[in-house]
Amino acid sequence: MWRKYFSLTRAGILDSLQFRLSLIFTVVGNLLYLLLIYYLWRAIFASVDSPVINGMTFSDTMVYLVFASALFNFMEMWIVWTVGREIQEGKIVIDLLRPMNYLTYIFFRGFGEVVVKFLLTFLPTAIVVFFVSDGAIPVGTNLIYFAISVCFSLLINYYINFFVATICMHTESIWGINIMKEVIVGILSGATVPLAFFPQAFRSIAMVLPFQTIINSPLQLLLHPEYTAVQCLQILGLQLIWLVVLRLLAEWFFRVSLKKITVNGG
Amino acid sequence: MKKKTIGYYWRIYRKIIAQDIKSKMSYRADFFISMIGMIATNVAGAIGFWLIFQNFPSVKGWNYYEMIFFYGFSLISATPAQCLFDNNWSLRIQVYSGDFIKYCFRPMNLFFYFMSEVFDIKGLGQLGFGIAAVAYAWVKLQLPFHVYSIALLLVAVLSASLFVIALLNLAASACFWIVNSFFVLSLCNTLRDYAKYPVTIFGPVLRVVFTFIIPIAFMAYYPSQIILRPESVSTIVWFTPVLGVAFFYLSYKVWMKGAMAYNGTGS
Amino acid sequence: MEPIIRLDDVSKEFKVLNRHEGLKGSIQDLFSRDYRIVHAVNHISMDICPGEIVGYLGPNGAGKSTTIKMMTGVLQPTSGKIVCNGIVPYKNRSENAQKIGVVFGQRTQLWWALPVIESFKILKDIYQVEDAAYKDMMDLYGSMVDLDALMHKPVRQMSLGQRTLCDILAAFLHNPGVVFLDEPTIGLDVAMKAKIRELIQKLNEEKNTTVILTTHDMGDVDALCKRIVIIDKGDKLYDNDMEHLSNLFGAYRTLSLLLTKKKDACDEQQLDELAASVKALLADKWDESTCAVSRNEQQIEILIDEAKVPMMKVLNAVQEQHKIYDMHLQEISTESVIRKIYEGGMA
Repeated sequence: MWRKYFSLTRAGILDSLQFRLSLIFTVVGNLLYLLLIYYLWRAIFASVDSPVINGMTFSDTMVYLVFASALFNFMEMWIVWTVGREIQEGKIVIDLLRPMNYLTYIFFRGFGEVVVKFLLTFLPTAIVVFFVSDGAIPVGTNLIYFAISVCFSLLINYYINFFVATICMHTESIWGINIMKEVIVGILSGATVPLAFFPQAFRSIAMVLPFQTIINSPLQLLLHPEYTAVQCLQILGLQLIWLVVLRLLAEWFFRVSLKKITVNGG
Repeated sequence: MKKKTIGYYWRIYRKIIAQDIKSKMSYRADFFISMIGMIATNVAGAIGFWLIFQNFPSVKGWNYYEMIFFYGFSLISATPAQCLFDNNWSLRIQVYSGDFIKYCFRPMNLFFYFMSEVFDIKGLGQLGFGIAAVAYAWVKLQLPFHVYSIALLLVAVLSASLFVIALLNLAASACFWIVNSFFVLSLCNTLRDYAKYPVTIFGPVLRVVFTFIIPIAFMAYYPSQIILRPESVSTIVWFTPVLGVAFFYLSYKVWMKGAMAYNGTGS
Repeated sequence: MEPIIRLDDVSKEFKVLNRHEGLKGSIQDLFSRDYRIVHAVNHISMDICPGEIVGYLGPNGAGKSTTIKMMTGVLQPTSGKIVCNGIVPYKNRSENAQKIGVVFGQRTQLWWALPVIESFKILKDIYQVEDAAYKDMMDLYGSMVDLDALMHKPVRQMSLGQRTLCDILAAFLHNPGVVFLDEPTIGLDVAMKAKIRELIQKLNEEKNTTVILTTHDMGDVDALCKRIVIIDKGDKLYDNDMEHLSNLFGAYRTLSLLLTKKKDACDEQQLDELAASVKALLADKWDESTCAVSRNEQQIEILIDEAKVPMMKVLNAVQEQHKIYDMHLQEISTESVIRKIYEGGMA
């Protein structure tokens, strides 16, 4: 029964390897981006006297941001674009007829690319950072928590994306919807600026929203080996709750929207 | 055949753009959502900027308000590319599907005809943000306010915008040679996002790259100095307008060459 | 007559990357420099006179659209020379574009969201059509099609047929010397096809416009073309009148035989077996080019070259072994001749 998912994933891997230059560009682009944030934050830290800002040193901040961008990049599945287009061109009808849950089908269709990006961008970045930062990444049980957490993040991110993509059943503007999602997730997940840099009130809001569980949660687990098992399980538990809630929400919203569309004959 | 004067192109452009705006307005909900999306992006950009710089008195000798000036300047100089050359973003899809060929059958400049088809009104939202940021910084920095300085600002912004347009053209034209070239555009967009920081923070190698190879330093930092610190700008900065025109021309040539090369391979 | 288009020994080559299969192949391709040269068009020469409607035919990938692209100035030939309206198209693309009209398959060149009339007004400006000439043209169109029903409808709300119709009108709007039509009737129903053909015919007669028509629909060719050019794998195979085409391979006629009872006629397997048996039977006596056996939904079809063997002889041969329930005889269709040419009957 896993066979069909496996072959969807395999097709995705083959598909993304088709485009050789784009892969190289992704890797180079990623490195360039890391270089840019390195210089930017170095300049920022150089401008103040204290080596610690908001409880983070320069090397903490760098490791955080590098991993944040690496996570963010490898999780990007362009779901809003692909599903949004499929909805608007009516191709969704064909995919709805496939013998599997649409939500699951779309996930595995994009999963192959995620695997490729994980191997070609995330892993090399992680290894390079590990050696370059020389001990800034603690090694221990935190790596296991991190790995589990990343899997949760991937799914949470996917459900959020799928939910947003479903909005395209109600409006034509994929671009507008997608950019709003990118903006909100980008800031509130802690991908662009670490949550530690947020003013207190702003941070409290971010913490009760699901977005911080995408980037902030796994990185907390990775960078804080001093957390007790209970603390770690709390973070994972919160992720799990959001995961379930978002999955139900995405599925429900999709069903309702689909009904509305089919009734209207759109 | 009658000669194609600038008047001819202007007339055609006006008509096509008018029709484009008219048809966009007919999808009203769509238009508003895109507009909100655009504003949200800018708000988020401003928030991100503020989150980072609120605590810091200065970065590489530039104070907070000067940083805001760069930021606003970069938004304004990006506006012409956003409004007038936005069709570049759909080039890849049209080339991929083969629809691009239709542009080749008209008796006028291919590049012109392609770009004329889309006018992105959303870009004006960005322009508003940019102007607000520059004005705010202008007041806080107590810069002189008279015709000369405004004219200087205009020239600086327009020259900078040529760099933004040219980079967009070059990135978009990658799709003529590379299948699935979205990453090139996306990479250039990311880089462009860093135009709002002083290029001096990026270290000597990147500084050279951003000045001579991917000239994002000309999109805000260098031309802004003409206004902020005219007494200490390097000579090359005064050549921004000339360099802008040259870079734009180069990008145009590459784009056209790509279009011709592509038509051979596409079916 | 002075030709309006002249192709003189034109060739076009492309460089294509060889792709490999499978996961390993994809990774190899990342670093591959393994290219091959494709000869899309090979030393083609032809003259086309003003007012002609020429059918430009060939199987998919034969080099048709490459040739069209060269004639419209989009592509430059690797060698050889093209002159169109006295202009070398690929050197003066824009100038050439002023004197041609193009309809490319199912891709509309009209503005998607606009009513057709708005598109026409923009085209009028683009091609700098004088007011009087524009009005004449619109009057002419009015006499041919129901303009009012079309002109105020946005293109995106049109049926494919209406859209094609408007695209053709748009292509003729500036009264070009040559119009290129690429599969104008693809995907249309029978009535619409007839309407489109009639329109093309009328416009050609009225304006003496040269029309280059590429199509896979032999109905288009039969209805419109006096002359056809056939190319395959970049080589010109045939360039002559339609009349010559039918006797190209001698005197061909098709004999259709019903070898089963009507009620069994749709049994696929039985039909295949019958076709195979008839084929074997005839192959003993004559070669493939003399009588070729195929089947349609119900019957066995035998394409017979009567210059080599009388039809009655074939019929007798079949009758010795099979019971014939029904039969009829037909002149060879353009479609079958062309299929024969594609399949290499020329060699």
